[in-house]
Parts: sequence; structure tokens; C-alpha cells
Amino acid sequence: MTEKVGAVAVLGGGISGMQAALDLAESGLKVYLVDNKPSIGGVMAQLDKTFPTNDCAMCTMAPRLVEIGRHKDIEIITLSDIEKIEGEAGNFKVILNKKPRYLNEEKCTGCGTCITNCPTRNKVQPLEKTKVELEPQYEEKVLEIIKINKDREGPLMAILQQINSAFNYLPENVLKYVSQEVGYPLSHILMIATFYSSFSLVPRGKHVINVCMGTACYVKGSERLMERLSDVLEIKENETTPDMLFTLKSVRCIGCCGLAPAAMIGDNVYGKLSTKDIPGIIEKYKTMG
Amino acid sequence: MAQLTLDELRKKRKEAQKEIYLREGKYKSKIIVHMGTCGIAAGAREIVSAFLGEIEILPEKDVMLTTSGCAGLCSMEPMATVELLNLPSVKYGHLTPDKVRRVFKEHILGGNIVTEYAIGIGSEKGG
Amino acid sequence: MLCTGTGCVAGGAFRIKETLENEIQKQGLEKEISVIITGCNGFCGQGPLLVVQPDEIFYGFLNPEDIPFLVQEHFLKGRPVKKLMFTPPEKKEPIPLLSEIPFFKKQMLVVLRNKGIIDPEKIDDYVARDGYTALEKVLISMTPDEVIDEITRSGLRGRGGAGFPTGTKWKICRTEQKTPKYIICNCDEGDPGAYMDRSVFESDPHTVIEGMILGAYAIGVSRGYIYARTEYPLAIKRMDLAISHARDYGLLGENILGTDFSFNLEIREGSGAFVCGEETSLIHSIEGKGPEPRQRPPFPAEFGIWDCPTVINNVETWANVPVIINRGADWFSKIGTETSKGTKIFSLVGKINNTGLIEVPMGITLREVVYDIGGGIPDDKKFKAVQTGGPSGGCIPYSMIDVPIDYESLTNAGSMMGSGGMIVMDEDTCMVDVAKFFIQFTNDESCGKCTTCRDGSDALLEVLTNITNGNGKEGDLEFLEEAGNAIKDASMCGLGTTLPNPVLSTLKYFRDEYEAHIKESMCPALVCKNLIKYYILPEKCTGCRLCLKNCPPGAIKGELKHIHIIDQSKCTKCGTCLDVCPTKVSAIIKVSGKETEKITGIEEPYPVKRREKEIKK
Repeated sequence: MTEKVGAVAVLGGGISGMQAALDLAESGLKVYLVDNKPSIGGVMAQLDKTFPTNDCAMCTMAPRLVEIGRHKDIEIITLSDIEKIEGEAGNFKVILNKKPRYLNEEKCTGCGTCITNCPTRNKVQPLEKTKVELEPQYEEKVLEIIKINKDREGPLMAILQQINSAFNYLPENVLKYVSQEVGYPLSHILMIATFYSSFSLVPRGKHVINVCMGTACYVKGSERLMERLSDVLEIKENETTPDMLFTLKSVRCIGCCGLAPAAMIGDNVYGKLSTKDIPGIIEKYKTMG
Repeated sequence: MAQLTLDELRKKRKEAQKEIYLREGKYKSKIIVHMGTCGIAAGAREIVSAFLGEIEILPEKDVMLTTSGCAGLCSMEPMATVELLNLPSVKYGHLTPDKVRRVFKEHILGGNIVTEYAIGIGSEKGG
Repeated sequence: MLCTGTGCVAGGAFRIKETLENEIQKQGLEKEISVIITGCNGFCGQGPLLVVQPDEIFYGFLNPEDIPFLVQEHFLKGRPVKKLMFTPPEKKEPIPLLSEIPFFKKQMLVVLRNKGIIDPEKIDDYVARDGYTALEKVLISMTPDEVIDEITRSGLRGRGGAGFPTGTKWKICRTEQKTPKYIICNCDEGDPGAYMDRSVFESDPHTVIEGMILGAYAIGVSRGYIYARTEYPLAIKRMDLAISHARDYGLLGENILGTDFSFNLEIREGSGAFVCGEETSLIHSIEGKGPEPRQRPPFPAEFGIWDCPTVINNVETWANVPVIINRGADWFSKIGTETSKGTKIFSLVGKINNTGLIEVPMGITLREVVYDIGGGIPDDKKFKAVQTGGPSGGCIPYSMIDVPIDYESLTNAGSMMGSGGMIVMDEDTCMVDVAKFFIQFTNDESCGKCTTCRDGSDALLEVLTNITNGNGKEGDLEFLEEAGNAIKDASMCGLGTTLPNPVLSTLKYFRDEYEAHIKESMCPALVCKNLIKYYILPEKCTGCRLCLKNCPPGAIKGELKHIHIIDQSKCTKCGTCLDVCPTKVSAIIKVSGKETEKITGIEEPYPVKRREKEIKK
């Protein structure tokens, strides 16, 4: 075996990061274990038991904590963010941004008194925002949608739905714009936008093909419809053809179970489909454009 | 339309009943095409246009064409119910435009039920 | 004898009865003629109906105004009234009476009384079938408390699946101090294989609206929402239209029908998230929050949308309300079993001859549903199981086919009522694959809030995938059971606590299938791709090249009039060859497990003629 050279940075000091650091260090490498929190341990340090085995979390973690603390080849760097990573496999340069602690780490006992007595602890510190601008053709439509829905109770869902159908997906800029105009945090809008399956964050084709994967369709072989479609269109599920005509998706149930297996192209439902019908249907939409 | 009061609603009901039960008025037969999502998926739109085409060429427009929701027996879609004045209704299943033309000619105009396509006669049991 | 089936009642049978009795009394004929109320005779399209005995004369399409004339002519003068007489159809055999066809015979239409009869886009059609009479009745003669009392006495339970008594829910909400209050109609019908709600919206939207108005009156609410799936564009369109018609008629809005009761209704659309069918999650979704469920109690009836008391009921529950008000709690509670009253709509789908939407009285057995109404399994295949309750339910095997359908019996059988999907599976369905399918579904739809649900479904899925891929090992089944029960115990909302059900119930009833996968690498139903192989039987192949031309990966070797062979290394097991092989040839077979070793294919294609020669020898 050749002699090991260089060092490894492990980013994130949770249980997996800790184990990785230990394994690497044991194999003879110098390890920098980086975490953005004041200490390593991650989520597991907060747990009593772990699922599904119900093992005691601390019993799993404590030995590793001790070992890492003692290991001569592991250097722990906490309260640090990654500023930049450059280079290539085998030769990386990582620039960290170490946050100031304003205290002498050598002497600190971790008693926490400074936190409880900090005078600015509970003050809101607003971030500076830059104004989002939209291209005029987008802006008009989006403003109109916002105007219709703004005064309803709980307007966000309706706004997102209408934007989704107007542009066939949710463009990132538009979401930022909505956040700014309606006053929801962008993180909240993104949470909603990613939760529901009918929203898309990437552009979709003109015809969205939804293959029903409800139970009735499934037992009647809708999986094979999907395979055939994927063959014919030469794309995988959740992908869009390069000509932006078709997007292939699966849907939970379109309530057409009497006609299983079924698929929906746009708003049209096709029932009692067989793999043989597929090339013909796709051809029809292709000529339609 | 102005809001109705209780009495006006009742009056409305009576008028509406005349139409739905095919008793008075100018129509002597009624076709109901069952158009739920599954019916449409199975081709109910074609059936409607086939019926419309037939009614179009009639000299007297005394056939009423209306749509309704799912009739329940999805495996037989597309379906249609044909009602002649004072006769029990007949349900047809697995229709195609060609079958529609035959049903129209023989049953609606001729008064003879097309037995090959009929599912059943009368209507379903209520509670 | 006067028919009082739902259809005729909707056509005004009770008013006929009143006038008939009055008229008979007027003529002094009480002693000779008695009015008897009968059940439905199946000619609902002609209702309201009357049969005069002993002459057996049918009168159809009756109106209260016709009655005096009829009584005078027929009963007094003995002349049957031709004009009103119902002409029975000529007996021409092959057309059976619809009400005698097994599919329809065992059904009982209460909620679906108007299906296929009215035009859902015309409010007048609904009004003609005695629509909004329950609303009239309530506004004129009932107090809110009386309405709640009527619903409570009827024994109506939530049709969304859990079966909470509707009257009790309403009462809790009514007694809450906090105002305003809200009602919500839950039409987020996420269960795969269920489409009752869609169908009700599409065929009779006004019955839901009327039910909600009645509920609003009883609970003391002035705002309501309908939450519908975006996957149902037609249903939403029809409901939207129905609401605007009702508003035009003054049945929704301020001062309904000239009284001081006001109620407004609006539709909110979901966007494709299964968990939103859960009530707290649904509320969050309408509010525009992250649609994750929250801990209950407090229940929405105390603390619901916009933090106000809210009653959420399923579409079918709301649709039952007008019928109960019109016909009374006593009538309703006679239908069904001790604990489950009324009827239930099921979508009967899967491997069954008559797929469709059925409404049956509670307490009917699964056997009646599958064999009488459903007409059995296509192609004479063997019945294997019925899956009820969607991804939260379980599979009921043939041995339990006589179980009556009500909330308790289904739960005892390891499944649940659920919203009403009923998926029939035959011998060609692999139960391990079905379990995997459902876990995949719930794994995908889990909102991720509880670890047990999020990671637990991952763990189950991994093991199930291993088993279906032929990599199952000893101990897997025990792990599934243990993890399944842990998920059940430790998850918060209905999705998590019921997600292991499909696995647990199939494990209970079809353990041998799991074992066959693990121990013999065999899929008895020939579904799991890694465990099956396709072969062309050399003694049957005619060399027609159909399969060769259609094979997507090009795994079939051969030429015209030569026996074809499948290159197993290229075969993706898509099954296209089996589909295209003409039925009279059927040269292609699927095999699994030990069977695969028995088949010895040929090495190279050779002419069909050579085989024929060999056979002759």
C-alpha cells in the first residue's frame, strides 16, 4: 500500500460525519472535521432512541465523541461555514469562514450565562433585501393573479396554482417576486411549492402526460404503460422531451378506475389503454404540435 | 336573477318537473348521455355529437338531448338512456357513433328497442 | 300501493300520498281503499308511481293535481284513467328489467338517487327531483337543535372512512363559544382506486350543496369551503357552476329564501398531496400553511380553520344529509346494521367484470358485492383478495368473503371502511408487489413530519423491494411485522398510523406468498420481474414474427417461418411479446422459481417445417 498523503475535510459533524472522520483518520489520513454549530454531534445528540432499531442514541454516539476528541489526526473546527471549495478530485482547497466567538476558548466552561444575559439576544435583525424585477410580459400576468387573490383568506395556494397553470411551471424569479409583493417569506413559498406534486419548479412540456398509478390501474398494468411511453418518448419519468412537447409523469389516481389502466394527456383522459395504443396517441399529439 | 322566496322555489320546482318527467311540452323523447370523467374518456363526446347530428336533420325538433353524470356501470361506458313519452327508459351501453345512428333510427324514430345494444329497461331501484 | 323508493320520493311521492288520502277521505272511501306505502319497484324513471290492486293497474308520472280526477274516475266510477296509465313495456326477452340485473338489483340508491337522471349542470333538474325541499322543511319547521338531533338519531357516521358519528361532531361544534365557525367539505379523494366523491360532484353537485346548507343552519355557520382535488377538473367545473346557480336562486348568500339565515360557500383546490385528505392537514392547506397534519386533540370541531371551530365532513356524508332530513331519521336508521346505518358508495374496480360505482346498504357481504353485483372475476380466474380502504386499508382474502361490510367488521378483518375504494385482485396479482406498491405510495406521500412514518416507510420499502427482487432473506418477515407495529404506534396522523396495514394484512393472510419469494425465489402470481422469465414454446411457435417486430429491446431472435427464441440476457420482461402473440397460437409463457429450470429452450431459430417433420416421425 502506498503511503497516504494530504488531508481530508469532513463537512458536517453529525453522527455520519463523525464516523467518516474516524474511519479516515484510522486509515492514516489527517482529518479536519468541520461543523457550523458550536459543537459536533448533530441531531443525534438530541435524541433518546433511534428508529427503527430503537438503539440508545447516546450509547451509539458517546464512544465516537470521545474517540474523536482523543484522536491525534482529527482536528475539529466548529462554528465555521464553507466559503468556497475549489480544485478537483484529489486536490481541493477549502476556504472556511470561522465565526468569531468573542471569548477565549481555552477558558470557556460552556456555562451559558453569557447567552442568557446577552442584551441583543431577542432583537430582530432584518436582512437587507434587493428588489426583484420581472420581465414586463411576466410581471403583468403575475400582478393580475396577485390582484385577484390578494384579499382572499389564505391566498397563497390560489396564487401558486394560477401561476403554475399560466406558465406551466413556477419560475424561480416569479416566486421571489410573489414573496416580495405578497409578503410571504420565500422559504415558506418554496415549502408549499415543493410539497404538492402538481407544482413544478422546472419548465414542463406542452403536453403533460400523467400515467395513473392508482391501485386499480396498477393491478391492470399501468407500470407497463409507463415503460412503453418512456421507450417511445425516449425520456424517463419526470423528464421533458428536448423539443418541449411532452413531460412524462405519474399521478396518484385520476378517479377513472372503471377504465383502468388510464392516462391523462393535458385534460384529456384515455381509458382502457394498452401498450399497443401508445405510439399512435403520441404520434397524434406530435402532428398537432 | 333575483333571489327566490320559498313560494317561488316551489313554483320553479313544478315547472321543472314538467320538463324532467317528459310529460308536457314539445318533446316526445329524451336522450340522456352519461358524461362523467369516465364516460368522456370512453368517448361520450363522440356519442353526443352523433346524436346531435341525427337530431339536426330531423324536420321537427321534438327530441331532447341532455347530459348527465356517471351511471355507475363504468365498464359499459359510453352509455346513454333513451326515454320515449310514457314508456320506461332503456339504457344502452358500449355505444359507438354507428350504433347511435341505429338506435336513433329504430328506437327513437321507430319505437323499437335495439335489443342487441340494450343493457336493460326501466330504472334502478331506490332506497 | 304507492311506491316510496328514493326515486319516487324525490319525484314527490309523499305529496301524492297526502293528496290521495285527503281525496279519498273527501269522497268517503276510507273503508274501501287503503293507501299502502311500498318499497321501490324499479321503474323510478316513471315515478311517482301508484299501483291499484286488485286490478294491477299502474299509474306513472303522477302529479298531486291529477289525484282528485283519478280518485273520482277510477275509485268512484270504476273507470281506470287511461291518460295516466303507465304502459308496461312489451315483454320482449333478451332485454331484462334494469332492476332485475344483478349489478343493479342489490344496490340501493340514496346518495346517488339522481345519478344518470338529472343534468348536473342544471339546477332546475335537481329542484324537480325534490331538490332543496329539505332546506324548505328545515327553514320553515325545524330549529337547529332539531336538525342535529335528527342527524344524531339517524346514526349517520362519517363516510370518509373513520366513521365518527356526524351528529356528535356537529353538536360539539355548535356548543363551542368561539365564533365565527366554519364547515368544510372534504373532496380530496386521494385514495387510489376510489372515485365516489368525484362521481357525486359530477352527477349531482347540488345534493352536496344542500347538505352543507343544512349543516350550516344546524351548526350556526355562515362560511363554508369545499376542498377538491385538482386532478378532478370536471368535478370542480360542475361544482363551481352549481354554486353559482344556487347563488342566483338565493339558496346561497345572504338571507336565504327570504329568511335571516345566510351562508356562503367557496371552492378551494388542492394541488396533489395525498396527506391533505387528513383534516388538520387540509385546514393548513386552505390556510396556505405547510400542509402537515398536527396533533389532535384539539379536534377541528373545537379548533379548526383560522383557529375557529370547524366541521369537516366527507362529500358522501354531506350528500346523505338532505335525504335524512326529508325522509326522517327513523327511515334511515332502518337501513344497515346495528352500528353502521344507511348505505355506502363503493367504487368496485380492478379484476372484476362489472366495474363501476355502486351504492349498497351497510351489512351486505363482500361475496354479494363481488359475485352478484360485480359479476365475478373476468376470464374465470380465481378470486384472491379485495383491497379496501386505500393505502390505509388491508386485503381481505377469499376465506373472509362472507364478512358483512360495516365499519367494525372490516376493521376486525384487518382492513377498514376507508372512503370506499374496493379493488378486486385475482390470481395474477402478487400480494407482495401490492404491498410494495402501497408502501411506495405512502412513502412518497408522507409529509415527513414523524420519523416513524418517513423513515419507517423507507425501511419497509427497502425490505419489500429486496423480496420482490429475489433478495429476501430469513428474518425479513419478522422485521416487517415489528417495524410495521412500531410505525403504527408512534405516528401522529391517520396516514402514518395506518400505512403498515397493507403489509401487515397481506403478511397475515398471504404469508406463503412472501415465503415463496424468499425461500424459492418464486413469484406465484408471475408478477415480480426479477423472478420470472419469458419463453417461447418451440412446439407452438409459428414463426409469424409478430413478437420479434414488437419487442422493444430487440431480444427476440428468429426469421419468418422459423421458431423464435428470447435472448434472456436482453429481455427486459416487459411482456409485450405475450400481448401480441395471437391467442390461437399462445406460444409464449411466463415461468418463475423452480419452473424456470425445467424449460429447456432451443439454441438457434430453426424452420417451423423441420419441427413438423419431426412430429410426423
